[in-house]
Amino acid sequence: MLGTAALGVLGPSLVAEAASGPARLVILHTNDMHSRIEPFPDSAPQWAGLGGMARREALINSVRAQEPHVLLLDSGDIWQGTPYFNFFGGELEYKLMSRMKYDASTFGNHDFDNGLAGLQKQLPNAGFPFLIANYDFGGTPLAGRFAPYKVFEKAGARIGVFGLGIELKGLVADKNFGATQYRDPVAVAQAQVQQLRQQERCDMVICLSHLGYKYEGEKIDDRKLAAQVGGIDLILGGHTHTFMPAPEPITGPAGHVTLINQVGWSGINLGRIDYELRRGAQPVRATGALVLPVGATC
Amino acid sequence: MRMTVSASRYWLVLVSTVGLSVLAVACQRGPLQATARLAPTTSQPVGRAIVPDAGAAAYIQPFHEQVEKQMSTVLGTAPVALTKHAGENPLGNFMADLQRTAAAKATGQPIDLGVMTNGGIRTELPAGPITLGNVFELMPFENELIVLDAPGPVVQQLFDYAAPVRMAVSGATYTVGPDKRPVDIRIGGQPFDPVRTYTIALSDYLAGGGDHMEFLKAAPLRHTGLLLRTVIVDHIKALTAAGQPVTAQVEGRVK
Repeated sequence: MLGTAALGVLGPSLVAEAASGPARLVILHTNDMHSRIEPFPDSAPQWAGLGGMARREALINSVRAQEPHVLLLDSGDIWQGTPYFNFFGGELEYKLMSRMKYDASTFGNHDFDNGLAGLQKQLPNAGFPFLIANYDFGGTPLAGRFAPYKVFEKAGARIGVFGLGIELKGLVADKNFGATQYRDPVAVAQAQVQQLRQQERCDMVICLSHLGYKYEGEKIDDRKLAAQVGGIDLILGGHTHTFMPAPEPITGPAGHVTLINQVGWSGINLGRIDYELRRGAQPVRATGALVLPVGATC
Repeated sequence: MRMTVSASRYWLVLVSTVGLSVLAVACQRGPLQATARLAPTTSQPVGRAIVPDAGAAAYIQPFHEQVEKQMSTVLGTAPVALTKHAGENPLGNFMADLQRTAAAKATGQPIDLGVMTNGGIRTELPAGPITLGNVFELMPFENELIVLDAPGPVVQQLFDYAAPVRMAVSGATYTVGPDKRPVDIRIGGQPFDPVRTYTIALSDYLAGGGDHMEFLKAAPLRHTGLLLRTVIVDHIKALTAAGQPVTAQVEGRVK
Protein backbone atom coordinates (compact mmCIF):
# COMPACT_ATOMS: atom_id res chain seq x y z
CA MET A 1 0.00 0.00 0.00
CA LEU A 2 2.58 2.50 1.06
CA GLY A 3 5.28 0.87 -0.92
CA THR A 4 8.66 1.97 -2.06
CA ALA A 5 7.92 5.66 -2.33
CA ALA A 6 7.49 5.86 1.39
CA LEU A 7 10.61 3.80 1.95
CA GLY A 8 12.48 6.20 -0.25
CA VAL A 9 11.38 9.07 1.89
CA LEU A 10 12.16 7.21 5.05
CA GLY A 11 15.62 6.11 3.97
CA PRO A 12 17.42 9.46 4.21
CA SER A 13 15.66 10.16 7.45
CA LEU A 14 17.10 6.99 8.96
CA VAL A 15 20.54 8.05 7.88
CA ALA A 16 20.01 11.50 9.32
CA GLU A 17 18.93 10.06 12.62
CA ALA A 18 21.81 7.65 12.86
CA ALA A 19 24.15 10.25 14.28
CA SER A 20 21.91 10.94 17.25
CA GLY A 21 21.38 7.21 17.76
CA PRO A 22 17.67 6.56 17.96
CA ALA A 23 16.69 4.16 20.72
CA ARG A 24 14.84 1.01 19.79
CA LEU A 25 11.85 -0.15 21.79
CA VAL A 26 11.17 -3.85 21.41
CA ILE A 27 7.67 -4.99 22.32
CA LEU A 28 7.42 -8.71 22.99
CA HIS A 29 4.00 -10.18 23.57
CA THR A 30 1.92 -13.30 24.11
CA ASN A 31 -1.77 -14.10 24.42
CA ASP A 32 -3.87 -17.07 25.46
CA MET A 33 -0.98 -19.14 26.79
CA HIS A 34 -3.55 -21.43 28.44
CA SER A 35 -1.26 -23.07 30.99
CA ARG A 36 0.95 -24.52 28.25
CA ILE A 37 3.99 -24.86 30.51
CA GLU A 38 5.61 -27.57 28.42
CA PRO A 39 5.63 -27.85 24.63
CA PHE A 40 2.73 -29.69 23.01
CA PRO A 41 3.57 -33.38 23.17
CA ASP A 42 5.09 -34.95 20.07
CA SER A 43 1.93 -37.06 19.79
CA ALA A 44 -0.35 -34.02 19.63
CA PRO A 45 -2.45 -33.96 16.45
CA GLN A 46 -1.71 -30.25 16.06
CA TRP A 47 1.19 -28.03 17.18
CA ALA A 48 3.29 -31.07 18.16
CA GLY A 49 6.56 -30.02 19.78
CA LEU A 50 5.73 -26.31 19.74
CA GLY A 51 5.66 -23.82 22.60
CA GLY A 52 7.08 -24.31 26.08
CA MET A 53 7.82 -21.71 28.70
CA ALA A 54 11.47 -22.66 29.29
CA ARG A 55 12.08 -22.11 25.57
CA ARG A 56 10.16 -18.85 25.67
CA GLU A 57 12.33 -17.67 28.54
CA ALA A 58 15.45 -18.51 26.54
CA LEU A 59 14.11 -16.60 23.55
CA ILE A 60 13.20 -13.58 25.67
CA ASN A 61 16.59 -13.63 27.36
CA SER A 62 18.32 -13.70 23.98
CA VAL A 63 16.37 -10.60 22.94
CA ARG A 64 17.12 -8.86 26.23
CA ALA A 65 20.82 -9.60 25.76
CA GLN A 66 20.75 -7.50 22.59
CA GLU A 67 18.09 -4.91 23.34
CA PRO A 68 18.12 -2.54 26.30
CA HIS A 69 14.53 -1.32 25.90
CA VAL A 70 12.09 -4.21 26.03
CA LEU A 71 8.43 -4.30 27.04
CA LEU A 72 7.07 -7.80 27.64
CA LEU A 73 3.27 -7.92 27.65
CA ASP A 74 0.46 -10.46 27.72
CA SER A 75 -3.18 -10.22 26.73
CA GLY A 76 -4.85 -12.70 29.05
CA ASP A 77 -6.07 -16.28 29.32
CA ILE A 78 -2.87 -17.24 31.04
CA TRP A 79 -4.80 -20.05 32.68
CA GLN A 80 -6.68 -23.23 31.83
CA GLY A 81 -5.83 -25.89 29.33
CA THR A 82 -3.36 -28.31 30.86
CA PRO A 83 -3.25 -30.30 34.10
CA TYR A 84 -0.76 -27.77 35.47
CA PHE A 85 -3.66 -25.40 36.00
CA ASN A 86 -5.89 -28.07 37.51
CA PHE A 87 -3.19 -29.14 39.94
CA PHE A 88 -1.51 -25.88 40.90
CA GLY A 89 -4.20 -23.29 40.23
CA GLY A 90 -2.02 -21.04 38.09
CA GLU A 91 0.91 -20.78 40.49
CA LEU A 92 3.51 -22.01 38.02
CA GLU A 93 2.25 -19.86 35.14
CA TYR A 94 2.59 -16.68 37.25
CA LYS A 95 5.95 -17.71 38.68
CA LEU A 96 7.43 -18.43 35.26
CA MET A 97 6.07 -15.17 33.84
CA SER A 98 7.67 -13.38 36.78
CA ARG A 99 10.99 -15.10 35.98
CA MET A 100 10.67 -13.81 32.42
CA LYS A 101 10.03 -10.31 33.82
CA TYR A 102 6.70 -9.66 32.19
CA ASP A 103 5.91 -5.97 32.49
CA ALA A 104 2.11 -6.36 32.50
CA SER A 105 -0.83 -8.51 31.54
CA THR A 106 -4.56 -8.09 31.34
CA PHE A 107 -7.30 -10.57 32.23
CA GLY A 108 -8.89 -13.12 29.96
CA ASN A 109 -12.12 -14.89 30.78
CA HIS A 110 -10.30 -18.08 31.77
CA ASP A 111 -8.32 -16.18 34.37
CA PHE A 112 -11.57 -16.26 36.37
CA ASP A 113 -11.96 -20.04 36.11
CA ASN A 114 -11.08 -20.53 39.76
CA GLY A 115 -13.26 -17.63 40.81
CA LEU A 116 -12.19 -14.33 42.34
CA ALA A 117 -10.82 -16.23 45.33
CA GLY A 118 -8.69 -18.44 43.08
CA LEU A 119 -7.32 -15.34 41.37
CA GLN A 120 -6.69 -13.57 44.65
CA LYS A 121 -4.81 -16.58 45.98
CA GLN A 122 -2.32 -16.56 43.09
CA LEU A 123 -1.71 -12.80 42.88
CA PRO A 124 1.28 -12.93 45.25
CA ASN A 125 2.98 -15.18 42.68
CA ALA A 126 2.69 -12.56 39.94
CA GLY A 127 5.62 -10.15 39.97
CA PHE A 128 3.89 -8.01 37.34
CA PRO A 129 0.69 -5.94 37.34
CA PHE A 130 -2.63 -6.86 35.79
CA LEU A 131 -4.02 -3.86 33.96
CA ILE A 132 -7.78 -3.77 33.46
CA ALA A 133 -9.76 -0.63 32.73
CA ASN A 134 -13.26 -1.95 32.03
CA TYR A 135 -13.87 -4.34 34.91
CA ASP A 136 -15.11 -2.76 38.10
CA PHE A 137 -14.16 -4.93 41.04
CA GLY A 138 -15.88 -2.63 43.54
CA GLY A 139 -17.70 -4.67 46.15
CA THR A 140 -15.60 -7.78 45.46
CA PRO A 141 -12.62 -9.07 47.46
CA LEU A 142 -10.40 -7.73 44.66
CA ALA A 143 -11.60 -4.12 44.93
CA GLY A 144 -8.67 -1.75 44.47
CA ARG A 145 -6.21 -4.48 43.52
CA PHE A 146 -5.81 -3.58 39.85
CA ALA A 147 -4.88 -0.41 38.01
CA PRO A 148 -6.51 0.45 34.68
CA TYR A 149 -3.16 1.42 33.15
CA LYS A 150 0.53 1.82 33.80
CA VAL A 151 3.04 4.18 32.25
CA PHE A 152 6.43 2.73 31.39
CA GLU A 153 9.44 4.93 30.74
CA LYS A 154 11.68 3.49 28.05
CA ALA A 155 14.63 5.44 26.68
CA GLY A 156 13.03 8.62 27.94
CA ALA A 157 9.71 8.01 26.19
CA ARG A 158 6.48 7.45 28.07
CA ILE A 159 4.57 4.36 27.02
CA GLY A 160 1.02 4.10 28.38
CA VAL A 161 -0.42 0.59 28.59
CA PHE A 162 -4.04 -0.12 29.51
CA GLY A 163 -6.12 -3.30 29.56
CA LEU A 164 -9.57 -4.26 28.27
CA GLY A 165 -11.45 -7.46 29.08
CA ILE A 166 -14.30 -9.26 27.37
CA GLU A 167 -17.83 -9.36 28.80
CA LEU A 168 -17.71 -12.15 31.37
CA LYS A 169 -21.40 -12.95 31.57
CA GLY A 170 -22.18 -15.95 29.41
CA LEU A 171 -18.49 -16.89 29.13
CA VAL A 172 -17.68 -17.37 32.78
CA ALA A 173 -19.91 -18.95 35.39
CA ASP A 174 -21.66 -16.18 37.35
CA LYS A 175 -20.28 -17.33 40.67
CA ASN A 176 -16.73 -17.11 39.34
CA PHE A 177 -16.81 -13.39 38.60
CA GLY A 178 -19.28 -12.47 41.32
CA ALA A 179 -20.06 -8.77 41.53
CA THR A 180 -17.43 -7.76 38.95
CA GLN A 181 -19.02 -5.21 36.61
CA TYR A 182 -18.21 -5.02 32.91
CA ARG A 183 -17.99 -1.56 31.33
CA ASP A 184 -18.31 -0.64 27.67
CA PRO A 185 -14.82 -1.02 26.17
CA VAL A 186 -15.25 1.82 23.66
CA ALA A 187 -16.18 4.47 26.24
CA VAL A 188 -13.55 3.18 28.64
CA ALA A 189 -10.85 3.14 25.95
CA GLN A 190 -11.69 6.73 24.95
CA ALA A 191 -11.28 7.82 28.55
CA GLN A 192 -8.03 5.85 28.91
CA VAL A 193 -6.54 7.42 25.79
CA GLN A 194 -7.53 10.85 27.04
CA GLN A 195 -5.96 10.16 30.41
CA LEU A 196 -2.76 8.73 28.95
CA ARG A 197 -2.32 11.33 26.22
CA GLN A 198 -3.33 14.41 28.22
CA GLN A 199 -2.73 13.89 31.93
CA GLU A 200 0.08 11.33 31.63
CA ARG A 201 1.57 12.93 28.49
CA CYS A 202 2.36 9.57 26.97
CA ASP A 203 4.21 9.31 23.69
CA MET A 204 2.67 5.99 22.84
CA VAL A 205 -0.49 4.15 23.91
CA ILE A 206 -0.81 0.37 23.91
CA CYS A 207 -4.02 -1.53 24.65
CA LEU A 208 -3.84 -5.07 26.00
CA SER A 209 -7.14 -6.50 24.83
CA HIS A 210 -8.92 -9.74 25.46
CA LEU A 211 -11.93 -8.69 23.40
CA GLY A 212 -11.08 -10.85 20.39
CA TYR A 213 -9.83 -9.97 16.92
CA LYS A 214 -12.97 -9.99 14.78
CA TYR A 215 -16.63 -10.97 15.04
CA GLU A 216 -19.49 -10.75 12.61
CA GLY A 217 -22.27 -8.53 13.89
CA GLU A 218 -22.30 -5.96 16.64
CA LYS A 219 -20.08 -7.61 19.22
CA ILE A 220 -17.10 -5.41 20.03
CA ASP A 221 -13.74 -6.65 18.79
CA ASP A 222 -10.25 -5.23 18.32
CA ARG A 223 -10.96 -4.05 14.78
CA LYS A 224 -14.12 -2.21 15.80
CA LEU A 225 -12.30 -0.75 18.80
CA ALA A 226 -9.52 0.57 16.59
CA ALA A 227 -12.05 2.03 14.15
CA GLN A 228 -14.06 3.76 16.88
CA VAL A 229 -11.38 4.98 19.30
CA GLY A 230 -8.61 7.26 18.11
CA GLY A 231 -5.22 7.54 19.75
CA ILE A 232 -4.28 3.90 20.38
CA ASP A 233 -1.03 3.03 18.62
CA LEU A 234 -1.08 -0.69 19.18
CA ILE A 235 -3.67 -3.23 20.27
CA LEU A 236 -2.17 -6.50 21.44
CA GLY A 237 -5.14 -8.84 21.26
CA GLY A 238 -6.27 -12.23 22.44
CA HIS A 239 -9.24 -14.52 23.05
CA THR A 240 -9.82 -15.58 19.45
CA HIS A 241 -6.48 -17.44 19.24
CA THR A 242 -5.83 -15.69 15.94
CA PHE A 243 -2.55 -16.37 14.17
CA MET A 244 -2.12 -13.07 12.35
CA PRO A 245 0.38 -13.20 9.48
CA ALA A 246 1.25 -9.56 10.21
CA PRO A 247 -0.10 -6.78 12.38
CA GLU A 248 -3.15 -5.17 10.82
CA PRO A 249 -3.43 -1.39 10.52
CA ILE A 250 -6.90 0.06 11.10
CA THR A 251 -7.61 3.70 10.39
CA GLY A 252 -9.71 5.21 13.13
CA PRO A 253 -11.13 8.62 13.94
CA ALA A 254 -9.16 11.59 12.56
CA GLY A 255 -7.00 9.27 10.51
CA HIS A 256 -5.18 7.76 13.45
CA VAL A 257 -3.85 4.36 12.53
CA THR A 258 -3.90 1.62 15.12
CA LEU A 259 -1.97 -1.57 14.64
CA ILE A 260 -3.52 -4.82 15.86
CA ASN A 261 -1.49 -7.92 16.53
CA GLN A 262 -2.27 -11.34 18.00
CA VAL A 263 0.03 -14.36 17.94
CA GLY A 264 -2.16 -17.46 18.17
CA TRP A 265 -2.21 -19.18 21.53
CA SER A 266 -0.42 -21.55 23.92
CA GLY A 267 2.88 -19.73 23.64
CA ILE A 268 3.42 -21.21 20.19
CA ASN A 269 4.72 -17.82 19.11
CA LEU A 270 6.29 -14.84 20.76
CA GLY A 271 5.17 -11.62 19.15
CA ARG A 272 7.78 -8.98 18.47
CA ILE A 273 7.24 -5.47 17.21
CA ASP A 274 10.08 -2.98 17.12
CA TYR A 275 9.76 0.77 17.28
CA GLU A 276 12.47 3.35 16.92
CA LEU A 277 12.17 6.22 19.35
CA ARG A 278 13.43 9.39 17.79
CA ARG A 279 14.19 12.51 19.66
CA GLY A 280 14.08 15.68 17.72
CA ALA A 281 12.44 18.98 17.13
CA GLN A 282 10.49 17.98 14.05
CA PRO A 283 7.00 19.32 14.22
CA VAL A 284 4.35 16.68 14.45
CA ARG A 285 2.92 17.60 11.11
CA ALA A 286 6.18 17.07 9.31
CA THR A 287 6.40 13.49 10.36
CA GLY A 288 2.89 12.86 9.25
CA ALA A 289 3.95 14.03 5.85
CA LEU A 290 7.10 11.97 5.87
CA VAL A 291 5.55 8.62 5.35
CA LEU A 292 2.58 8.62 3.09
CA PRO A 293 -0.25 8.11 2.46
CA VAL A 294 -2.48 6.61 5.09
CA GLY A 295 -4.98 8.92 6.67
CA ALA A 296 -5.04 12.62 7.15
CA THR A 297 -2.53 14.86 8.79
CA CYS A 298 -2.95 15.17 12.51
CA MET B 1 20.31 12.77 30.26
CA ARG B 2 16.65 12.47 30.97
CA MET B 3 14.50 14.80 28.97
CA THR B 4 11.13 15.82 30.15
CA VAL B 5 8.42 14.80 27.81
CA SER B 6 6.92 18.19 27.32
CA ALA B 7 10.24 19.54 26.16
CA SER B 8 11.02 16.71 23.83
CA ARG B 9 9.63 15.29 20.68
CA TYR B 10 9.77 11.68 19.75
CA TRP B 11 9.18 9.78 16.65
CA LEU B 12 8.11 6.24 17.07
CA VAL B 13 9.10 4.29 14.06
CA LEU B 14 8.04 0.70 13.86
CA VAL B 15 11.02 -1.05 12.39
CA SER B 16 11.57 -4.38 10.88
CA THR B 17 13.93 -6.91 12.31
CA VAL B 18 14.01 -8.75 9.01
CA GLY B 19 12.92 -6.64 6.11
CA LEU B 20 11.36 -3.25 5.75
CA SER B 21 7.91 -2.67 4.44
CA VAL B 22 5.97 0.39 5.31
CA LEU B 23 2.53 -0.38 6.59
CA ALA B 24 1.03 2.64 8.17
CA VAL B 25 1.40 6.10 9.51
CA ALA B 26 -0.26 6.83 12.78
CA CYS B 27 -1.20 10.38 13.51
CA GLN B 28 -2.00 11.65 16.91
CA ARG B 29 -1.82 14.73 19.01
CA GLY B 30 1.06 15.17 21.35
CA PRO B 31 4.78 15.09 21.01
CA LEU B 32 5.07 11.71 19.36
CA GLN B 33 4.72 10.44 15.84
CA ALA B 34 4.22 6.78 15.23
CA THR B 35 5.34 5.66 11.86
CA ALA B 36 4.93 2.01 11.17
CA ARG B 37 7.42 -0.15 9.39
CA LEU B 38 6.92 -3.81 9.99
CA ALA B 39 8.73 -7.03 9.58
CA PRO B 40 7.05 -9.48 7.21
CA THR B 41 6.89 -11.82 10.17
CA THR B 42 6.45 -10.38 13.61
CA SER B 43 5.84 -13.53 15.57
CA GLN B 44 8.67 -15.87 16.38
CA PRO B 45 7.90 -19.56 16.62
CA VAL B 46 8.81 -21.08 19.97
CA GLY B 47 9.93 -24.37 18.50
CA ARG B 48 12.46 -27.15 18.79
CA ALA B 49 15.26 -24.95 17.52
CA ILE B 50 15.27 -23.01 20.77
CA VAL B 51 17.27 -24.53 23.61
CA PRO B 52 15.13 -24.26 26.75
CA ASP B 53 16.43 -21.99 29.46
CA ALA B 54 18.08 -24.34 31.94
CA GLY B 55 16.96 -22.38 34.98
CA ALA B 56 13.35 -22.36 33.86
CA ALA B 57 13.46 -26.05 32.98
CA ALA B 58 14.82 -26.89 36.44
CA TYR B 59 12.16 -24.70 37.98
CA ILE B 60 9.43 -26.58 36.13
CA GLN B 61 10.78 -30.06 36.87
CA PRO B 62 9.30 -30.64 40.37
CA PHE B 63 5.90 -29.44 39.13
CA HIS B 64 6.23 -31.78 36.16
CA GLU B 65 6.96 -34.70 38.44
CA GLN B 66 3.90 -33.96 40.54
CA VAL B 67 1.71 -33.80 37.46
CA GLU B 68 3.06 -37.10 36.18
CA LYS B 69 2.55 -38.71 39.56
CA GLN B 70 -1.00 -37.43 39.90
CA MET B 71 -1.93 -38.43 36.37
CA SER B 72 -1.10 -42.02 37.27
CA THR B 73 -3.29 -41.86 40.38
CA VAL B 74 -5.92 -44.61 40.26
CA LEU B 75 -9.42 -43.23 40.80
CA GLY B 76 -11.43 -46.44 40.43
CA THR B 77 -11.85 -49.69 38.58
CA ALA B 78 -13.92 -50.78 35.60
CA PRO B 79 -14.63 -54.55 35.36
CA VAL B 80 -15.20 -54.16 31.63
CA ALA B 81 -14.17 -51.38 29.29
CA LEU B 82 -16.63 -48.55 28.80
CA THR B 83 -16.80 -48.37 25.03
CA LYS B 84 -18.45 -46.08 22.54
CA HIS B 85 -19.77 -46.77 19.08
CA ALA B 86 -22.51 -45.55 16.75
CA GLY B 87 -25.96 -45.60 18.33
CA GLU B 88 -26.65 -46.10 22.02
CA ASN B 89 -23.39 -47.09 23.73
CA PRO B 90 -22.12 -47.62 27.29
CA LEU B 91 -19.77 -44.67 27.55
CA GLY B 92 -22.34 -42.31 26.01
CA ASN B 93 -24.91 -43.42 28.56
CA PHE B 94 -22.35 -43.12 31.37
CA MET B 95 -21.59 -39.51 30.43
CA ALA B 96 -25.16 -38.43 29.71
CA ASP B 97 -26.48 -39.99 32.92
CA LEU B 98 -23.68 -38.49 34.97
CA GLN B 99 -24.33 -35.03 33.55
CA ARG B 100 -28.00 -35.35 34.47
CA THR B 101 -27.38 -36.46 38.06
CA ALA B 102 -24.58 -33.94 38.60
CA ALA B 103 -26.72 -31.08 37.24
CA ALA B 104 -29.62 -32.16 39.46
CA LYS B 105 -27.29 -32.07 42.45
CA ALA B 106 -25.84 -28.69 41.46
CA THR B 107 -29.21 -27.04 40.84
CA GLY B 108 -31.20 -28.85 43.51
CA GLN B 109 -33.92 -29.74 41.04
CA PRO B 110 -34.65 -32.77 38.87
CA ILE B 111 -33.15 -32.61 35.38
CA ASP B 112 -35.22 -34.19 32.63
CA LEU B 113 -32.59 -34.99 30.02
CA GLY B 114 -28.85 -35.52 29.62
CA VAL B 115 -27.09 -35.17 26.26
CA MET B 116 -23.59 -36.15 25.20
CA THR B 117 -22.57 -36.66 21.58
CA ASN B 118 -20.02 -39.26 20.52
CA GLY B 119 -17.82 -36.46 19.23
CA GLY B 120 -17.49 -35.09 22.76
CA ILE B 121 -16.07 -38.37 24.03
CA ARG B 122 -12.45 -38.52 22.98
CA THR B 123 -11.39 -42.00 24.10
CA GLU B 124 -12.86 -45.05 25.76
CA LEU B 125 -12.27 -46.05 29.38
CA PRO B 126 -10.26 -49.26 29.57
CA ALA B 127 -11.05 -52.27 31.73
CA GLY B 128 -9.07 -52.32 34.97
CA PRO B 129 -7.75 -49.38 36.96
CA ILE B 130 -8.91 -45.96 35.78
CA THR B 131 -6.36 -43.22 36.29
CA LEU B 132 -6.71 -39.48 36.33
CA GLY B 133 -4.77 -39.56 33.06
CA ASN B 134 -7.53 -41.72 31.54
CA VAL B 135 -10.12 -39.12 32.52
CA PHE B 136 -8.04 -36.30 31.04
CA GLU B 137 -7.89 -38.25 27.77
CA LEU B 138 -11.63 -38.92 27.90
CA MET B 139 -12.39 -35.24 28.58
CA PRO B 140 -9.47 -33.03 27.57
CA PHE B 141 -11.77 -30.07 27.00
CA GLU B 142 -12.43 -27.46 29.63
CA ASN B 143 -16.14 -27.94 29.14
CA GLU B 144 -18.60 -26.74 31.73
CA LEU B 145 -21.79 -28.54 32.73
CA ILE B 146 -24.76 -26.43 31.64
CA VAL B 147 -28.50 -26.67 32.21
CA LEU B 148 -30.82 -25.61 29.39
CA ASP B 149 -34.45 -24.71 29.96
CA ALA B 150 -35.60 -26.01 26.61
CA PRO B 151 -39.08 -25.33 25.24
CA GLY B 152 -40.92 -28.24 23.60
CA PRO B 153 -39.97 -27.32 20.02
CA VAL B 154 -36.25 -27.31 20.91
CA VAL B 155 -36.62 -30.72 22.55
CA GLN B 156 -38.39 -31.99 19.42
CA GLN B 157 -35.41 -30.79 17.36
CA LEU B 158 -33.07 -32.58 19.75
CA PHE B 159 -34.81 -35.89 19.05
CA ASP B 160 -34.97 -35.09 15.33
CA TYR B 161 -31.17 -34.71 15.53
CA ALA B 162 -30.72 -37.89 17.59
CA ALA B 163 -32.92 -40.32 15.67
CA PRO B 164 -31.02 -40.59 12.37
CA VAL B 165 -27.84 -41.59 14.27
CA ARG B 166 -29.76 -43.51 16.97
CA MET B 167 -28.15 -41.31 19.66
CA ALA B 168 -29.38 -42.13 23.15
CA VAL B 169 -30.63 -39.37 25.43
CA SER B 170 -30.43 -39.82 29.19
CA GLY B 171 -33.86 -39.71 30.82
CA ALA B 172 -35.71 -40.58 27.63
CA THR B 173 -36.61 -43.40 25.28
CA TYR B 174 -37.80 -43.18 21.70
CA THR B 175 -38.34 -45.27 18.63
CA VAL B 176 -36.74 -44.55 15.28
CA GLY B 177 -39.46 -44.55 12.63
CA PRO B 178 -38.95 -45.89 9.12
CA ASP B 179 -38.19 -42.39 7.85
CA LYS B 180 -35.60 -41.98 10.63
CA ARG B 181 -38.00 -39.68 12.46
CA PRO B 182 -38.35 -40.08 16.25
CA VAL B 183 -41.69 -41.49 17.38
CA ASP B 184 -43.07 -42.49 20.77
CA ILE B 185 -40.73 -40.13 22.62
CA ARG B 186 -40.99 -40.68 26.36
CA ILE B 187 -39.30 -38.45 28.92
CA GLY B 188 -39.19 -39.68 32.49
CA GLY B 189 -41.55 -42.42 31.35
CA GLN B 190 -44.20 -39.92 30.22
CA PRO B 191 -45.10 -39.09 26.62
CA PHE B 192 -43.28 -36.02 25.30
CA ASP B 193 -45.38 -32.89 25.81
CA PRO B 194 -44.54 -30.33 23.09
CA VAL B 195 -45.85 -27.36 25.10
CA ARG B 196 -43.77 -28.14 28.18
CA THR B 197 -40.30 -26.84 29.01
CA TYR B 198 -37.71 -29.51 29.78
CA THR B 199 -34.37 -29.19 31.56
CA ILE B 200 -31.34 -30.58 29.71
CA ALA B 201 -27.88 -31.23 31.21
CA LEU B 202 -25.08 -30.94 28.68
CA SER B 203 -21.73 -29.28 27.98
CA ASP B 204 -21.36 -25.60 27.28
CA TYR B 205 -19.96 -26.67 23.94
CA LEU B 206 -23.20 -28.33 22.85
CA ALA B 207 -25.32 -25.64 24.49
CA GLY B 208 -23.51 -23.15 22.29
CA GLY B 209 -24.52 -25.02 19.16
CA GLY B 210 -21.51 -27.36 18.88
CA ASP B 211 -21.73 -30.61 16.89
CA HIS B 212 -24.26 -28.85 14.63
CA MET B 213 -26.81 -28.48 17.41
CA GLU B 214 -27.53 -24.90 16.43
CA PHE B 215 -31.12 -25.25 17.58
CA LEU B 216 -30.00 -25.49 21.21
CA LYS B 217 -28.91 -21.85 21.16
CA ALA B 218 -32.59 -20.88 21.27
CA ALA B 219 -32.91 -22.24 24.82
CA PRO B 220 -31.97 -20.13 27.88
CA LEU B 221 -29.01 -21.60 29.74
CA ARG B 222 -27.83 -21.77 33.31
CA HIS B 223 -24.23 -22.26 34.37
CA THR B 224 -23.32 -24.79 37.03
CA GLY B 225 -19.69 -23.69 37.26
CA LEU B 226 -18.70 -27.36 37.21
CA LEU B 227 -16.06 -28.62 34.80
CA LEU B 228 -17.20 -31.87 33.22
CA ARG B 229 -13.84 -33.45 33.86
CA THR B 230 -14.10 -32.63 37.55
CA VAL B 231 -17.61 -34.12 37.58
CA ILE B 232 -16.25 -37.38 36.13
CA VAL B 233 -13.31 -37.51 38.53
CA ASP B 234 -15.50 -36.85 41.56
CA HIS B 235 -18.05 -39.45 40.44
CA ILE B 236 -15.48 -42.22 39.99
CA LYS B 237 -13.89 -41.35 43.34
CA ALA B 238 -17.32 -41.50 45.00
CA LEU B 239 -18.04 -44.90 43.43
CA THR B 240 -14.71 -46.19 44.71
CA ALA B 241 -15.34 -44.79 48.17
CA ALA B 242 -18.68 -46.64 48.16
CA GLY B 243 -16.97 -49.86 47.07
CA GLN B 244 -18.56 -49.78 43.64
CA PRO B 245 -16.99 -50.37 40.22
CA VAL B 246 -17.35 -48.10 37.20
CA THR B 247 -19.97 -49.58 34.90
CA ALA B 248 -22.44 -48.55 32.22
CA GLN B 249 -25.07 -50.38 30.23
CA VAL B 250 -26.89 -50.20 26.96
CA GLU B 251 -30.50 -50.57 27.97
CA GLY B 252 -32.66 -49.95 24.95
CA ARG B 253 -33.15 -46.20 25.12
CA VAL B 254 -33.38 -46.16 21.34
CA LYS B 255 -35.81 -48.68 19.88
